[in-house]
Amino acid sequence: MAFIKLNDLEIEVEDGMNIVEIAREHGIEVPHYCYHPGLSRPANCRMCLVEPHVFFPPAGAIVPDRQLATGCTTTVRTAPPERKLDGKYDFIVRTDSERVKKAREDILEFLLVHHPLDCPVCDQAGECDLQDFSHRHGSDKSRYLEVKNIPPKKDLGPDVLLYSTRCIVCTRCIRFGQEVSGSGELGLINRGSHDEIDIPRSHDGTPIQLLDNKLAGNVVDICPVGALISKDFLFKSRPWFLEKASSVCSGCSVGCNITVEYKADGVYRLKPRFHEDINQHWMCDDGRLGYHYVNSDDRLQLPLKRVDGELSPTHWADALSVITEQLSEVEAEDIIVIGSAQGTNEDNYVLQQLAHDVLKTTQLGLFGQLPGEAHKFPQFTIEADKNPNMAGARTILGSANGNVVLEGDALWEKVSGAKVVYLVSGAPERPLEDAEKAALESVDFLIVQDVLPSEITELADVVLPGTTFAEKDGTFTNSTGWVQRIRKAIDPPGEARLDWEITQQLAKQLGGEMNYHFAGEIALAIAENVPGYQDATHQNIGDAGIKLA
Amino acid sequence: MVQERRILYEHLDVPDINTFDVFRQYDGYTRFEKAIAEYQPEDIAKMVMDSGLKGRGGAGFSTGLKWSFVPKDIKPCYLCCNADESEPGTFSNRYVLEKNPHLLIEGILICCYAMGIETTYIYIRGEFTLGKKMLDAAIKEAYEKGYLGKDVRGTGLNIDIYSHPGAGAYICGEETGLIESLEGKRGQPRNKPPFPAVEGVFGKPTVVQNVETLCNLPFIVGNGVEWYTQMGPTYADTRANPPTPDPNTGTKLYCISGDVNEPGVYELDLGLTCTELIEVAGGLRGEEVKAVIPGGSSAPILTHYELDTRLDFTSLTLAKSMLGSGGIIVMNETRNIVDCLLNIMKFYAHESCGQCTPCRWGTPWVRDIVQRIADGNGRKSTMTRPKFGVAENGRWGDTGETEDIYEDLDLLESVANNIANVDTMTWNTICVFGIAVSWPAVSYMRKFRPEFEATIREGQLVTLPVAEATVPPEENYAYQQRFVPKEFADL
Repeated sequence: MAFIKLNDLEIEVEDGMNIVEIAREHGIEVPHYCYHPGLSRPANCRMCLVEPHVFFPPAGAIVPDRQLATGCTTTVRTAPPERKLDGKYDFIVRTDSERVKKAREDILEFLLVHHPLDCPVCDQAGECDLQDFSHRHGSDKSRYLEVKNIPPKKDLGPDVLLYSTRCIVCTRCIRFGQEVSGSGELGLINRGSHDEIDIPRSHDGTPIQLLDNKLAGNVVDICPVGALISKDFLFKSRPWFLEKASSVCSGCSVGCNITVEYKADGVYRLKPRFHEDINQHWMCDDGRLGYHYVNSDDRLQLPLKRVDGELSPTHWADALSVITEQLSEVEAEDIIVIGSAQGTNEDNYVLQQLAHDVLKTTQLGLFGQLPGEAHKFPQFTIEADKNPNMAGARTILGSANGNVVLEGDALWEKVSGAKVVYLVSGAPERPLEDAEKAALESVDFLIVQDVLPSEITELADVVLPGTTFAEKDGTFTNSTGWVQRIRKAIDPPGEARLDWEITQQLAKQLGGEMNYHFAGEIALAIAENVPGYQDATHQNIGDAGIKLA
Repeated sequence: MVQERRILYEHLDVPDINTFDVFRQYDGYTRFEKAIAEYQPEDIAKMVMDSGLKGRGGAGFSTGLKWSFVPKDIKPCYLCCNADESEPGTFSNRYVLEKNPHLLIEGILICCYAMGIETTYIYIRGEFTLGKKMLDAAIKEAYEKGYLGKDVRGTGLNIDIYSHPGAGAYICGEETGLIESLEGKRGQPRNKPPFPAVEGVFGKPTVVQNVETLCNLPFIVGNGVEWYTQMGPTYADTRANPPTPDPNTGTKLYCISGDVNEPGVYELDLGLTCTELIEVAGGLRGEEVKAVIPGGSSAPILTHYELDTRLDFTSLTLAKSMLGSGGIIVMNETRNIVDCLLNIMKFYAHESCGQCTPCRWGTPWVRDIVQRIADGNGRKSTMTRPKFGVAENGRWGDTGETEDIYEDLDLLESVANNIANVDTMTWNTICVFGIAVSWPAVSYMRKFRPEFEATIREGQLVTLPVAEATVPPEENYAYQQRFVPKEFADL
């Protein structure tokens, strides 16, 4: 630990931390553009200048250093006893001296000379570092009279646009491509004030390589200004109108921490949220752009019941009574309850209780998305398992005595002979394989709980509208054993209900004694009954998640 | 009349000196052989330290001191020879490369022996096609004769030299920009520290030396330190106690161009005055000297009041200018300083690598301001303000007079100082390119302010007579440290 003096604060910090981070931890803003904690530090924006103090022997005093230093590259180390300043400090630095303030103002003036100042039509306005820092540290006027550079707007790839005029050439996007995704599509062309970010192009300007890797969307997040813009979000909303909910991506079993940004009418975008051990600062485009089904007009909004071979809308009481009727007629061994790896631990726990305590069946199954492609990047991994909660669902469903959780071929074999199957899917656009289809077709009475019409709902006798990750509270357990919270952002469409609520209602109608009021209550029950989840209450998990022992 | 003292250039005019055999006749490689036979590597490093040799590339940093920063325990260690001579007004390395490349190779061999280096890269300016050809031929010959390659002359040393052409960027003459370029990246200077001596080419300790610096080594080894230190002045820096010697020893290849009768490269002792130098170069062409650029286009300009300034590293630093690469450009009374500044600013705006903010967008801005003034569109306010200067009591302050406000000159000075502050000598940029821009911009403007003002007033380029165009030293703070302070004196 190093003992430093930051402005007037005397603080202990870990060795190797840089001034920008130290200041941020203590609530002091050191403005910066090129520095990003997940990337290398070229110190090219010169915005984070701070004033280190050194001992000046001729004066016998500690004085400000001759040159200002960039805070991002100035790291703190414990000094040997004889080199301590004032006998105790390992480092003395000021971020609020007149010299620093002037330097910031000067740099901001340079940054803005070629900037178009088109904030009224810029997507980034409201979450733009250039705006914020200009407001807080910049000058209120421009002395620039000359003509501004107008480099062209560029289409870089499937989801990314480059408004070159707004670019401040901090090179975060280039470094991201080199260091995190390893694909290196982006680079600088031209020189000096004509610097432009671009993808490789042939002489006539046609792209040789597009910015189309699976992590491309991150460059939009890390762009401190409005230069790199997501086509998906372009002109859709002003960021200050968006509400935010901390959640977890449901795209694969990595469990990237995300922020769901939404308005009353739906989810607008997903942004990665920092988690040191899981996704650092990043998320993949599959997850980032995979939220559209939540807002889909096709979402199941009413329960459906098969009448004369056709699925037709009905009301909840009717749908549930049909199911209750069917379930009470058959023997326990003819019922199979299939949980979902897309559902939360809470959903699956209630489902497991229904099966074990009410229906008295030990035959459970686990359903989810088909495995997809895995991708490995230098600093990021996308897993093949496209379900956010495979590990959690497996444990929770199998937690009660004697429960057998079947998966894959074994499950479909069992389903073929079953009379009633209660299948919770929640997996959007899940295609059915031939064996699966054949097995489900052979079921006498198929109850499907899902969010979107699909091949599965087509086979169902009753369809119950469930909810997506954006509409419910709960926890997911990722492939490395992290239990993390998802939070309700928007209301479910129509009469769709929380999955565990549906299951609980069914259990009640069948004579079960379940009375949960909210997901946190179920989590308490999980903590009590499921081995390994002792600490996994919502209160404990918080925003950071907890790792199972 | 000062005489040239040819050491590096002594045999430059000998026919076929670029071939091994002829070079050998003129003591070629004997200094290297002497170094190996008579001295240990540490002895050579000590000799270089004692000789007071300062790097000839521009910064004038002590070569011996630089070598001492190289960690001894990290291998491999590299030598980078900076032959990317691109400072406007400088053309001395070129003749060495074209005419006497073996001298450079010998210098490299001595450096490699002293530092235990096995691999040398010569980063040669891309435009030097003839120089590259000659150098490559000489390297090939040296390999054939056994002075390069495995087990050099049976001494057990392995020394390889690779020549690498640049692609034309000025900034690749900056040592870390050069290293980046050599590694195959965009030529953009690195943040320092770490300095190249600790972490240079491919992350290993690297000695970066100019061609001229390396060419001095054979003569230091061959003739001894005593002989070498006789040339040039040695000052005493009395700020330290006891006073430390500040040597400016050896000869310098001065590239004299502009308004002189016989422009060219002259090898002279360090420490001659501008007047003497102009005499050596055949005298002034024209009536009177208006200005002298002492060290390449990035150096602050000297006025005719400062012609007695000695052209060596220490004196020019104290005069708030620099010797830089020794590219001296003389201007006579017909030259327009605004136009000169515009020319230089165009160059720097074009050559900025664009890595860091102040330089990327400051240099074209400065150029545009100067362009505007030169076009006759410079702005002058209708208001006046109190004039500051040397007041009645002899101190800096309000003189009681008023002066016109030239907004564009204030803006020019402010923007240039925001890239790099010439008064405090601090810069917000990554490398010293920033100061190379603001130095000329501010010094030209301050020292020749009447000409800038006249240009703005008249709405066109106006060339004033020298006496009128120049601000007298006692009136302008640009001159404040022109005179050698007492603490520096001849030893």
